[in-house]
Amino acid sequence: MDIDIPGFIRSLRESDITEAYAKLREKTPLPGICGRLCSAPCEKACILKEKGAAIAIRSLERFATDFGRQRNLRRSVNKGKRIRIAIVGSGPCGLAAAWMLARRGYEVIIFEAFDKPGGVLRYGVPEFRLPKKVLDEQIADIKIIGVKIETNFFVGKTASLDELRKDNFSAILLAMGAGIPKLRDIPGANLGGVYYGEEFLMRVNLMKANLFSQYIPSFGIGEKVIVLGAGNTAMDCARAAVRFRRKVTLVFRRPEDEMFVRPEERQYGKEEGVHIESMVRMVEILGDANNFVKGAKCIRLDYAASSNKGKWELVPVPGSEFILEADTVIIAAGHRPNSLMGMVSDDQIFLELNDDGTIYIDKDTGMSSLSAVFAAGNVVTGPGPLIQAIASGIDTAEKIDKYLT
Amino acid sequence: MFKIVNKQILATHVKRLDVIAPNIARKVLPGQFVSISPEEGDERIPLSVVDFDRDRGHISLIFQERGVTTKKLGALQLGEEIFSILGPLGKPATIEKVGLVVCIATGVGTAKILPICRAYKRVGNKVIGIIGARTKRALMLEPQIRLSCNKIYITTEDGSYERKGLASDILKQILEEYDPDVVYAIGSEEMMRSTCEMTKKGGIKTFVHLNPIMVDCLGMCASCRVKVGDKIVLACMEGPEFDGHKVDFDEFIKRKKALEEFGECCKHKLTSSPKKSESGIFMRFVSGFLKGQQ
Repeated sequence: MDIDIPGFIRSLRESDITEAYAKLREKTPLPGICGRLCSAPCEKACILKEKGAAIAIRSLERFATDFGRQRNLRRSVNKGKRIRIAIVGSGPCGLAAAWMLARRGYEVIIFEAFDKPGGVLRYGVPEFRLPKKVLDEQIADIKIIGVKIETNFFVGKTASLDELRKDNFSAILLAMGAGIPKLRDIPGANLGGVYYGEEFLMRVNLMKANLFSQYIPSFGIGEKVIVLGAGNTAMDCARAAVRFRRKVTLVFRRPEDEMFVRPEERQYGKEEGVHIESMVRMVEILGDANNFVKGAKCIRLDYAASSNKGKWELVPVPGSEFILEADTVIIAAGHRPNSLMGMVSDDQIFLELNDDGTIYIDKDTGMSSLSAVFAAGNVVTGPGPLIQAIASGIDTAEKIDKYLT
Repeated sequence: MFKIVNKQILATHVKRLDVIAPNIARKVLPGQFVSISPEEGDERIPLSVVDFDRDRGHISLIFQERGVTTKKLGALQLGEEIFSILGPLGKPATIEKVGLVVCIATGVGTAKILPICRAYKRVGNKVIGIIGARTKRALMLEPQIRLSCNKIYITTEDGSYERKGLASDILKQILEEYDPDVVYAIGSEEMMRSTCEMTKKGGIKTFVHLNPIMVDCLGMCASCRVKVGDKIVLACMEGPEFDGHKVDFDEFIKRKKALEEFGECCKHKLTSSPKKSESGIFMRFVSGFLKGQQ
């Protein structure tokens, strides 16, 4: 991503917070968000790690943004080029690409199907990890350089991709992300009370239920909640459920220190009362007479030498089945790319998809199988880290710039 | 923001709103729906688009006031604005010239089936309509339905208007007298299930409309998952129209009932919760949320 990390840290050392923020803002459009959510590969690569601990770069980024951000920025519109570019999806990738293109002088319009921009940043990540106020501020900072965001516009339904192409857009960037749940065929997954992680978080974020202390959730969450999954989505669901004063158990197959969440998140979760059952596979979700979930049958896993290659793998321990009682089960065990538009829209054109559902793009140009239609972010790579989506958005924006000049 | 330009009361607790939504009116086709949220922070509910005016950019929505959100919509006045309407969603209805089409609807399904009857008639089919209502007061859109069908049979459960009885009884007679090419049924799940059982024997192509609980209506949350054939599909993306003979009605009814009962039992739990003033509102919110569809 090319951020001048030593530079901005030096500015902070010299107590020049605004300068630090300015240095960050040269290279990254969403420092307030990365400062809270990023998995921080920069910290993993920090050489000071060998001498003790890495510098807390992410926290410094957050500090610089929270205190160095200029308010009341003048609206600056650099419409040097008078070329229109459409971006589908206002998640981190789309926002980052829009920022880069607007800085280069293009007229950018983002089309968002929801009624507010942000994508997973708004409807997936809960308030305690990313406050909506910070999200709105970061998005405002992008809109102020001239990016227009059109909400309630579902490309593929409200207007087809073909119509966009004919509507005087010189290029289109698809950045819909990978926010659809992977449907698991665990028996009992369709009982009442079984939510997929996306649905649960969406309800929490949509209906002001993110103000946990003030509002009682307006949808049903049982007293005992099981969350299946070992990633950020699962952890967010678990910590959100804990804030509704429920008993929460987090269940996943891998060993605990191989979870896909940052170690601090795991620690916070435990401190908040999330009970973790690692190395457990959920075999079946059990329902009562009303077809409502009443528990889950699980089996413990342990390492065993596999027959071939001599590698260790996790296998069920025979006879170790146990039943966890629950009246709500949340399945947060995997995402898929949101390339629905290619299949569902009533276009005659076809967007070529790879086998796993991601959009096929040419590695060098970033273009999909349709001319002047590009794709970036998780819809190309599959589910991935936030910082990668942002970098992909910026990178593809530069490729679009090259294509149009 | 979407402005309301027309408001009518059609029957007990059934209201019609026309709103200015040019992007949607431009593209919507019979059988599609929109996801609507009256105020910021409200839940989104799916509502079928009953009529549309492409030139003026209006769409017509008809709904029954059952839960919090529908009641909120019903309380809006002419000139007020709705916060968010997204559409057109869902796959448009399969409309082809097949010959004879029987459209059967009960309750608010009457409103949903109106655009479909019109579309079938327009492409040259003969349309027989069977409309069931509980009482004369609950009957809606009678003149419009009459115009869109070649023959119409109206029944009321209490006999207060025209025939007395259930729509499915009339359907039985019709199936004996005529040989329809397509049967389209929109109404309660039990009615659609019994319709499909009746038409299965004759192998008549039957379409139904499923309305499961929907949250985002965009295909991202999977709360509207239904079993059709052996696949689990999302009603907001592949529906709302489905081949009636492939739908697993038993599972659908079980899941819907389970979710509604959960809402009820949560309502009871909330009464014992420590929060005082808000709990009253949110009690209704919980039960309303799950029932807050048309």
